Amino acid sequence: MKIKGKKISVFSVIVFFASIFWLLPLLLIFINSFKPYNDMMQHFLSLPQTINFDKYIETWTKFDFPKLIGNTLLYTGVSVFGIVILAPMAAYKLARTKSKLSGFCFMVIIMPMMVPFQSYMITLTRLVSNFKLTGTKTGYIAVTVGLLMPLAVYMIHGFIKNVPLELEESAEIDGAGKIKTYFMIVLPLLKPILTTVVVLDALATWNDIITNQLIVGGNASAMNLQNALYMQFSAQTSDWEHALPGIVMSMIPSLIFFIVMQKHIVGGITAGSVKG
Amino acid sequence: MKNKKVTEFLIFALFVFPAVIFVIFSTDIPFLMNLYYSFFDWNGVGKSMTFVGFDNFIKIFTADTLFWKGVKFTLKFAVFYVVIVNIIALAIALVLSKEKKSASVGRAFYYIPYIISLTAISLIWKFIIGPGFESLYNITGWEIFNWSWLGTGKLAFVVVVVMTVWQNVGFYMVNYIAGIIAVPKELMEAAQIDGANKVQTITRITIPMIMPSISICLLTSLTFAFKLFDVIMVFTKGGPANSTVSVAYNIYKEAFVNSNYGLATAKSLVFVVFVLIITAIQMKVTKSKEVES
Repeated sequence: MKIKGKKISVFSVIVFFASIFWLLPLLLIFINSFKPYNDMMQHFLSLPQTINFDKYIETWTKFDFPKLIGNTLLYTGVSVFGIVILAPMAAYKLARTKSKLSGFCFMVIIMPMMVPFQSYMITLTRLVSNFKLTGTKTGYIAVTVGLLMPLAVYMIHGFIKNVPLELEESAEIDGAGKIKTYFMIVLPLLKPILTTVVVLDALATWNDIITNQLIVGGNASAMNLQNALYMQFSAQTSDWEHALPGIVMSMIPSLIFFIVMQKHIVGGITAGSVKG
Repeated sequence: MKNKKVTEFLIFALFVFPAVIFVIFSTDIPFLMNLYYSFFDWNGVGKSMTFVGFDNFIKIFTADTLFWKGVKFTLKFAVFYVVIVNIIALAIALVLSKEKKSASVGRAFYYIPYIISLTAISLIWKFIIGPGFESLYNITGWEIFNWSWLGTGKLAFVVVVVMTVWQNVGFYMVNYIAGIIAVPKELMEAAQIDGANKVQTITRITIPMIMPSISICLLTSLTFAFKLFDVIMVFTKGGPANSTVSVAYNIYKEAFVNSNYGLATAKSLVFVVFVLIITAIQMKVTKSKEVES
């Protein structure tokens, strides 16, 4: 027994160190973000001699972080809000209505899940520019909601199929209208799956760079945090003194979000991946 | 009676149409436009569009060497990515599928790269490969840190594989763990009572029992590999010398860099067919596994 116990602990130690190693790139970024450039080059692996936040503050003001974070929060908030309102409504009605129209609408919503985004992104940018929405916040939010909708509807649809009908029926017998039944009876039942959807979509919007590049492009007033950092630092790679604090600051919200919502994120990933 | 039908329809419309409109705008219409443009020669900006029939498609299959170079790169990437990411994820999952505090911390560590934005990921790796390796070379003098990692095609390929595996392993790990946890404990205990050692329990009990998770992970990783785009666009931009151009990135470049909209849309249709075949196989396999389990 003792030997067996010891074996396991040695193994755990190895796994623990392996997982630290896995985070090494992030740790290196973090410790180097406090160093002046010469120190990065000469003492890449060592801890910073002094912890000072001068470069952080400089990056914060120089690259207008308040505006970028404001934009990104706005995008994340509005898009997720839009999804949480519209997706369950559609999913509920589609799951409960058996008609040709209902089947057709479901197909229209689900189709994009089978077709890769890259195959219609070219024409999507065209369409957005035809509507004169290129470079605008409205255009970006509308596209984001449209792109996140299929998976959200699909997941909620699957969940609703397992919710018993009786509750709704008895509510209707009691004289509640269809709309009232939905908001008072159905919506509260969907809380678990909605949490998952919120978590997945909030992370996706906060971290998005591709859609923002395609729709907003170089329009500085509507860029999100990721796109702006990318535009700023990917071309001129020598400015690491500002790039590293920028990266760290852009990651902090995702990390906090992850720690708080860990359970839902992991659960959501498994739920979402069943669809493939 | 008729009135009731009208109200029913109105309620249906109120519930469903808003979502449908958003989806149609950002996906379905662009996809149909894509079908239409693929038969034209058009630079994407000007008014002049010439109908060319199937010329774009013929061009892809006969004259477009860069596209086929992209296909080759994508297939090669798919093989390496699928094998490596699944082996590592399964190994980690086997160790970390215990209900212990330390195991859940370990899981979180492997998972964190998956929730970080591509911007951060690509800058992090640029920093490590650039100043980081330079500094390590000065300290250690090892040649490996002096190689031109993003300057030679073969090494850039390695970097892309390492980076995508590093970022995504947590995702597959979580799926494997979900499968492993669902394996009945009695089976393991029975095997151990019968004298099976650790390795035997894994190969004879765990692996066969989690076949559904394995097939899901294999196929999701395969689709991911075929669609490889974001990383290339943000990190290597297809370089050096087009050595890391994936199919999806080749399409993007054809449209936005070379301004051949017609050709690019035709290519994306060919690409859709490729991916749809994979998805169809994926769904079939996943469904049949579900019945079995």
